[in-house]
Amino acid sequence: MKNIVELFLGILTAMGGFVEVGELVFSVDAGAKFGFRLLWVVALGTLGITVFCEMAGRVAAVKGQPVFNLIRERAGLNAGLVTLVAANLVNLLTCTAEIGGIALVWQLLSGWPYRWLALGALGFLLLVVWVLSFQWIERVFGLLGLLMCTYLAAAYYLRPNWGEVAAGFVPGVPHLESSSEYLLFAYFAVAILSSVMLPYETYFYASGAMEDGWNPGDVNLNRVIAIVGSVLGSVLAVALVVCGAQVFRPHQIEPQLPGEAALAASLTLGRWGLLAAVGGMFFAFAGAAIETSLSGAYNLAQFLGWPWGKYRPARTAARFSLTWIITFVLAALIIMTGVDPVSVVEYSIVFSVVILPFTYFPVLVIAGDRRVMGEEHANGWFANAVGWFYLGIVTLAALLAVPLLIVTRGGKG
Amino acid sequence: MKDEFLDLVRQVLDHEVVDSNNLPCGMVDDLEVSGGPGGELRVTALLVGAGAWTRRLPSGFEGLAAFIFGRQQTRVPWSEVETVTERVKLRSRAEELGLGGADRKAAKILEKVPGSG
Repeated sequence: MKNIVELFLGILTAMGGFVEVGELVFSVDAGAKFGFRLLWVVALGTLGITVFCEMAGRVAAVKGQPVFNLIRERAGLNAGLVTLVAANLVNLLTCTAEIGGIALVWQLLSGWPYRWLALGALGFLLLVVWVLSFQWIERVFGLLGLLMCTYLAAAYYLRPNWGEVAAGFVPGVPHLESSSEYLLFAYFAVAILSSVMLPYETYFYASGAMEDGWNPGDVNLNRVIAIVGSVLGSVLAVALVVCGAQVFRPHQIEPQLPGEAALAASLTLGRWGLLAAVGGMFFAFAGAAIETSLSGAYNLAQFLGWPWGKYRPARTAARFSLTWIITFVLAALIIMTGVDPVSVVEYSIVFSVVILPFTYFPVLVIAGDRRVMGEEHANGWFANAVGWFYLGIVTLAALLAVPLLIVTRGGKG
Repeated sequence: MKDEFLDLVRQVLDHEVVDSNNLPCGMVDDLEVSGGPGGELRVTALLVGAGAWTRRLPSGFEGLAAFIFGRQQTRVPWSEVETVTERVKLRSRAEELGLGGADRKAAKILEKVPGSG
């Protein structure tokens, strides 16, 4: 039973990474623009995030050290501080976008003014994180986020050509008409890779493992949870790409709002499908908002050596608690200025790829260090080989991300 | 400590400091050494707090970081160090060494909210 409950850490981590508002819009948009041709990037990213979450979880279970503790220790103060600032900027921007996403979902249901709904979302999130324990947060938002599986059913009933879907998993670049379209394809490939391998997933996952009190005996459990969570998240991302390709591509519509993704569910599953999809989006966005605000607090506390954790009473981890509260408040204030949440998250996704090498390098080095991890728990040759391969890929993506963002004008082509 | 010597930069600097109750109470932000060329060089204290780490940043960033995080620092004598593993464990409690003061101040704000523990 304990193992089933622990699964929700993996599910919540993956939900907050794979189906938050930015990825939702990005995936549906990628399907609308390129059909199934980007599915191999989702698969590539999924293996990468599984490998690094597993390593970060293993280090947390064996050594009791979360990710930012390792970054400070192995990357040093200066490189570590750059990573901290960038990571927490990404956390803040993503949290901002999620609060905007929740307000958009509520607006879809109620028609009330957007800014007031954003304020309501802030109140809801503050109350939930203050009152609920980490374990209940995992269960509630992990379980109810599973309503997103509605999109799986929707993708199935949209009757895609399964042969073409399967062909999309073969790495390759389609024949496009102009060089600007190739650049756009490259931009989407980098952005999807980044949105699948979002750095805060590893921060949150490793810290969550420590919140749940994992020890070296949980190493196998960690492996299962990292795999199940990432695979579930990526299947949902694939379903969103399929929905985009089937619903919007034939009409050459470029969806830019989360509500448009819900359209795919309502077309095939009717009123109840729409309600389940909207409910799933609400819990997925709220889960991602909580994941990013807590990640911000975890990172800062672990970098500076503050007591941290939801398992401690707020009074005894006071700076940690104030940090997540301030993150929520700042995020809500930004959204209330009227910025478009989807463009906020698109920028944050592209910038987050830039910090991926700084995040993954220390994790890879520690997880592979036999003196630190011991013979039994250090990376084997497979994990090391895959880890270094992905470090190469994310470094390449990090170098390409900002130039591609500029030349494609943020994916507008 | 099993090893014959301690690599101060890799095994001590930038590692987490915990007190005798295993409560995190900062990082080893800098080290104080005494002695000089020709004589014996000894580590005399750990320096913990923003005042210690902001000084290690490239010039230009130091002032900005100090503006945000302050310049407070606490000196913990090396004799207070009990063990050095992934964490540097101290022999006394955080309050006794003057560590964790900022957290206790922040706790005063949160204490007023119901459910703060």
